Amino acid sequence: MFAHTLDKLRPYALPLVVLLITWGIIAGITPSFRGVGSIFAVLEGFPLVGLAALGLAVTIIAGELDLSVGSMAALAAVVAVLTSPTGLVPCILIATLVGVVFGAVQGTLIGYLRINSLVFTIGTLILLRGLTYIASDNAPIIIQNITITDPLLDRYVVFSISSITAATVFILAGLFLTYTRWGREIYAIGGARNEAIAAGVPRIRPLTVSFAISAGCASLAGALAATRGGSAAPQNYADLLLSGAAAALLGGISLYGGRGTVINVALGVAVLTVVATGLAARGSTAYLVQLVTGALLLTMIAIEFLAGRLTIRDTILGAGLRGRSRGPEDVDSRREG
Amino acid sequence: MRFSETVRLPAGRLWDWLPLAIIIVLALAGIIVAVIITPSFLTVDNIRAILRNASIVGIVAVAMTPMTLSGNFVSLAIGQSAMLAMVCFVALVGDGWPQPLAIIVVVAGLIVVGVMQGVIVATGLNPIITTLAAGAIIFGVVTEITGAGIVRTGDYLIGWGSSTVVGIPIQVLIFLIFTVVVSILMSRTVLGRETALVGANRATARISGISFTRVTILAFAIFSVGLAIAGILNGAAFNQATSRSFPNLTIDAIAALLVGGTAIQGGHGSPLRSAGGALFIAVISSMMVLNDFSTGGRLAVQGGVVVAVVVLLHELRRRREVR
Repeated sequence: MFAHTLDKLRPYALPLVVLLITWGIIAGITPSFRGVGSIFAVLEGFPLVGLAALGLAVTIIAGELDLSVGSMAALAAVVAVLTSPTGLVPCILIATLVGVVFGAVQGTLIGYLRINSLVFTIGTLILLRGLTYIASDNAPIIIQNITITDPLLDRYVVFSISSITAATVFILAGLFLTYTRWGREIYAIGGARNEAIAAGVPRIRPLTVSFAISAGCASLAGALAATRGGSAAPQNYADLLLSGAAAALLGGISLYGGRGTVINVALGVAVLTVVATGLAARGSTAYLVQLVTGALLLTMIAIEFLAGRLTIRDTILGAGLRGRSRGPEDVDSRREG
Repeated sequence: MRFSETVRLPAGRLWDWLPLAIIIVLALAGIIVAVIITPSFLTVDNIRAILRNASIVGIVAVAMTPMTLSGNFVSLAIGQSAMLAMVCFVALVGDGWPQPLAIIVVVAGLIVVGVMQGVIVATGLNPIITTLAAGAIIFGVVTEITGAGIVRTGDYLIGWGSSTVVGIPIQVLIFLIFTVVVSILMSRTVLGRETALVGANRATARISGISFTRVTILAFAIFSVGLAIAGILNGAAFNQATSRSFPNLTIDAIAALLVGGTAIQGGHGSPLRSAGGALFIAVISSMMVLNDFSTGGRLAVQGGVVVAVVVLLHELRRRREVR
């Protein structure tokens, strides 16, 4: 029983160690990054980067990749600001709903057409960005009645409303993926698509669900950030794909599909946020943070690659379409890695 | 005919040219509509502007085609790499280097950066994630070194970037020459055939003794040459550069390549189609500019066109394969 539990915790060991080491180093060299304040700062990474990473991770688990998350977040931010006269909660819900509906349609089309999600989402990435500019009339827009967003600025020890919302979504997503039939189907088509379909898993539904989750999470992220800041600009969040993907992969979500949980994502987001806020606390610029994010991302995929001692030369998306049968020895070696 | 179903080479079969024919018909239809609703469309100045706009995007899309053909998808570091070339070229010339030497150094430098990514991808890492990370690193390093400021050529102004040869802008000429060279490379040489074969069916290619590593690295090298040319051309035209140059190039070049009908899974496509895609997008952009579309309207139409063309071509291809 104990060994079984230990076995289940193994996938989290590497990202957890990475998190503790980076947190130790950053806290060691940055006096302002210690104590309760630093925990608050790290949790504040979850509403934006965390939610984007969670959504991306679900599509990666399904063996696909949603490149349109940045544009989706920007559109949702604009929608939230435009609908803000309805009140704080309704405007965030409306913006999120727009994302969920768009994502469901996108996922259904990808599944129905059997088209590569990369090509399709590059198209929608441009399309959504255009719609964002149209909706905002090509300029940054602000919330007229700024007092409605006041609750978002309150702080409860280490939490804010935004980070509580994000944490709730993480927990719900985790329960959904692990304990429901629809959630498990996502793992099935991501891990071995042809085998899963042969075994009776529907081809389209898991894609509809995973892209709806992805766009919904990105929308919620954009809406939370916009209502909190009181404004939205049509060119925002173009870097969200980079930080979201970096966080998901840093946490140990496998690029080859079918593997990883929300705990992996949470650990990855924490690592990335520790690094980003730590660098910012030391006075580093945004582009240095981007540099480090890029380097971490590259290191992480290299580690994943080497640790798995891969014999599979197929990359995730090519494999997703060409059928991905994998020998039993590969599965074993990857599970240990 | 039947045997070629598993290995699809870029040229030769009528079916392979159907997507291109559709693009050409669409482009012609677009031009006719444009001429009817926009009187200023068919003027020499406007056509020159369209060609000039299509050139930079076209060069990059053409250069990326071998990479996509070989099954390595697309790069997400396009804008950043071209920016690197532009900043380096402007900085070197501003430092008093002779231009030919600066050009050689920039092209060589870009090839090194590209081949490094190629080597990583060739070992089996995901090309999308690798280039996404590479783009962030390049942007971070260049911004850090330039201090987020403007790099200028100063006393050493480069004149030829805005020049024309018998009325044709220099960018357009280079675009033309580059497209012809890469097309010949892809359709008439062993390397080109190997590239398409690796993209169409990697396992078969490996059994036939074709090295995926070699093909991938060479594809990244060709791509880097195109990026260097794009950067140098813009450097020569503007005499200054920042790390925020080429903000839309990544999206534009990928859109051109996809609209041209090169399959993102590899195996299908040609540099000529990517050039056609770039021209097509430049034509609709010009139409929209002349008809007072906003930035948002233009982006939305561009995205809509990409989605529509990609779905259409995908369906055509699938029908053919099921047949």
